Amino acid sequence: MWGWRSSRTVVVFAAATAFVGACVLPPLFMLSAIAVSSAPLAILRSALLDNRQQSLLYTTIGIGSGTAAVATAIGVGLGFVLARIALPFKPALRIALIAPAALPPYVIALAWTHIAGSVAFTAIGAIVVLAVAFSPLSMLATEVGLRRIDPRLEEAALLVTTPARVLRRVTWPLLLPIVTSAALIIFVLAISEFSVPGLLRVRVFTTEVFTAFASLYDFGQAAALSLPLLAVSVVVAGCAAIGVGDRLVTSRRPVRGALADAFDGWRWGGAVAVGIGIVTMLGVPLAALVGEAFRATSIVPIVRNSRDAMINSLSLALLGATAVTTLAAVIGYARARVNSTSGAVLDAFWIALFTVPSTVVGIGLIRMWNRPGALGAVYGTSAMLLLAYLARFVPVGALGVAAFVRSVPDSHEEAAAVAGAGWLRTMTRIVLPQIRIGLLAVWVIAFILAFGEVGTSILVAPAGESTLPIRVYTLTANAPPGQVAALALFQAIVVIGPLALLGACLARRRTR
Amino acid sequence: MTPPFLRLIGVTKQYRTRRGIEDVSLDISSGQSVVVVGPSGSGKTTLLRLIAGLERPDAGEIWLDGRKVADARRNLVAANLRRVGFVFQDLALWPHLTVRGNLEFVADCSGIEKTRRAEVFDQIHRQCRLEADLFERYPHQLSGGEQQRVALARALVGAPHLLLLDEPLSSLDPDLRIELRNELASLQRALQLTAVYVTHDPDDARTLADRTVTIRNGRLV
Repeated sequence: MWGWRSSRTVVVFAAATAFVGACVLPPLFMLSAIAVSSAPLAILRSALLDNRQQSLLYTTIGIGSGTAAVATAIGVGLGFVLARIALPFKPALRIALIAPAALPPYVIALAWTHIAGSVAFTAIGAIVVLAVAFSPLSMLATEVGLRRIDPRLEEAALLVTTPARVLRRVTWPLLLPIVTSAALIIFVLAISEFSVPGLLRVRVFTTEVFTAFASLYDFGQAAALSLPLLAVSVVVAGCAAIGVGDRLVTSRRPVRGALADAFDGWRWGGAVAVGIGIVTMLGVPLAALVGEAFRATSIVPIVRNSRDAMINSLSLALLGATAVTTLAAVIGYARARVNSTSGAVLDAFWIALFTVPSTVVGIGLIRMWNRPGALGAVYGTSAMLLLAYLARFVPVGALGVAAFVRSVPDSHEEAAAVAGAGWLRTMTRIVLPQIRIGLLAVWVIAFILAFGEVGTSILVAPAGESTLPIRVYTLTANAPPGQVAALALFQAIVVIGPLALLGACLARRRTR
Repeated sequence: MTPPFLRLIGVTKQYRTRRGIEDVSLDISSGQSVVVVGPSGSGKTTLLRLIAGLERPDAGEIWLDGRKVADARRNLVAANLRRVGFVFQDLALWPHLTVRGNLEFVADCSGIEKTRRAEVFDQIHRQCRLEADLFERYPHQLSGGEQQRVALARALVGAPHLLLLDEPLSSLDPDLRIELRNELASLQRALQLTAVYVTHDPDDARTLADRTVTIRNGRLV
């Protein structure tokens, strides 16, 4: 009745896609065209082949691979504990383990510079920080993957062998595709990250793109440096999305019966692993920031001077999250209702877009909007920051909404249609109420991402205006560490608040 | 008098969100075929899962072949040590393994020597009337009836002492259902296996049962 069979769905989806397309795709196409045409072959050659660039390439790939390996090792273990071992207060533990991914990575990096000193300012330091920031992705992928495995498959094996062997011979082969895909996505996110290597002064492609543009004003060089990064991100993320397949759009299964009982003996080990994870990945960095902030002689002036940036950040993140969620709701709904082949292609497309490095998106947006005429009127205003949030976060929002819409059977909409409900009423009374927690989740995620965004914002922010992440990032170079730590701590608190609220909502829904 | 092969004494299992079973006592002799009938949600599957060791009883005791295997809140003998074969309602064939892989896995875990496997598989494939060319196929490449036979074969590979079948024929079309039902009955008689079937189909019960018990609202009636 509805879904793709309704012309209104098509019209609304087309309008939303056109709007997002205007934000996301043209800047990237334009950037690619410039890199190929205006940057002569010599720039590309020097960008790719001279010794300096080769070392850049090795460092970038090394950080990406190292991060993926460490984050996967941590994430798989913790994901297994969450999915298969009965622990008290599991929703709260899950939120605490996810929190490092919600904190802006440069906040974690800043904390580790206080903990580890000069050791943090190395490629290894960057790997550790990025692994802490991204391991929750692997953990969630593992947990979702394990819950997607039909418990009967493991139970059938438990009748003939030990839990450890069941894990090795039945569970692990079934889990491997999603773990591999998560590792690939982490690899891409790590090589796309700008703020951590920037803050730790490790030279990688993203920092070079930023330097080429912001310091040397060499647009051709920046565009040429962006191309390999863009290509690797899109190809690897696309492969990962295809590997994940329909698992991106999934449902939870409770742990019960044999599976919970089989791993009873592992409960203490699981609890210790979770405890170590929370302490080292969340407790220690936050404690380091608190310690540093309290050591500062005076944090009042810096906080007062940053008041505008704080208000800017909060208001833009609120607006941005709302805009992202609205567009993601429409596009995500459409994704959920297409057939599985088209859905897989769309998933690959969205993931690839999400992993486009932030500095590359920033330069693309500047190239598109910094011109005379109507477009130029937008450039130089805070609207550029909103466009940046849309360009970066609508893809991941759409994936999130799609996952929740899939839990609403088509028959619910068909029953409403048979009962005489129109398109709007079906959407507002049948579909949206059933996915309201999902929409809240997407909004919170978008808010957290927007509030911590720095790579694109630092390039497109209008002159004289700043957001909190930009201020923290720039102050690290020229303000006392304690004052910067205080601002970073404020950021962490703003991020953890909505995350805890979302966790409470999800836990409440589960117990109903 | 011979003690029962399987004995349940006052077994209770409750869940927060759905009904389990309440104070169930049941004796089953060696070689006997018992069919448990009852409406959906009455606790039939829970009963099988408790016997297999896939759940822990809240109260009561379960004895298998003269050994106490479970009492209140404890499984004294793990599921993999009970020598039980289980045909799940949705069959639970491992999708990443071929038919041979599914059988090999159980053979491996049951300690059947590699030199004996060909003989065991040959016997099983004759008993379950499995075509030889199915062995290299994956579960999704099989028809419903073939999957059913593979699930039964897998349950028999480890030479179980007790066979549990959870609505094994429910997903089949009527003709195939009758055919497989008769095959199951003759196989059980030939192997002299102690078996517990769960079904809500009276025809299945008549064909397969030496004895029928009815469960309703979690209690035997």
